[in-house]
Amino acid sequence: MKISKDKSILLSRCCIVLFAAALLALDGGGYFAARWFCAVRSLDRAALYAMTAAIYLCSVFAWIALWQLWRLLGNLRREAVFTAENVRRLRIVSWCCVGVAAVCFAACFFYLPFLFVAIAAGFMALIVRIIKNVFEQAIEMKSELDLTI
Amino acid sequence: MEILVNLDVMMARRKISSGELAERIGITPANLSILKNGKAKAIRFSTLMALCRELSCQPGDLLEFRDEEEHAE
Repeated sequence: MKISKDKSILLSRCCIVLFAAALLALDGGGYFAARWFCAVRSLDRAALYAMTAAIYLCSVFAWIALWQLWRLLGNLRREAVFTAENVRRLRIVSWCCVGVAAVCFAACFFYLPFLFVAIAAGFMALIVRIIKNVFEQAIEMKSELDLTI
Repeated sequence: MEILVNLDVMMARRKISSGELAERIGITPANLSILKNGKAKAIRFSTLMALCRELSCQPGDLLEFRDEEEHAE
């Protein structure tokens, strides 16, 4: 099945809206979910506080990243692809992933499975960073091409 | 070290305007302006050929290599 460029961007935007809705739900019920989870797993209060803090700190990074991705898709729809603004947005997304990785790494001392989230976020930061480097290189090539008469 | 584009000199010699030259060689006046002002990073052989044809000159008349160190001395 071949999806047109506009439909693909629309699909990505729908995914961002879904993620935003999920994040909103997490923000609303994060503490209660953590409390329920700690009760089921018989974890101590330190783990509960660490888990709650990790959820809300990661939520801040996730909101920033989602907003940047939303604006990035808006630029792509306007066919402004290889621009310095998009590189800046990708850099911010990458740093958000690093932030999530750092928070989850700190939380893993209280609840070990957070280490997996930290590794996944770190890996995601690496991928986004490489895409950002590709964009930077593409901007340079585009400027050279534009100035070839 | 830099390559200078002496397009304006040749245009003055041949008494041809930017708009007319741009039209004759098939590029936009904006691109011709980039070339004239030395902001271009590269020039296609096809553009150079068209310029030489319309201005009845050699590539060497349009392009000049300048060594800044030598020039400073």
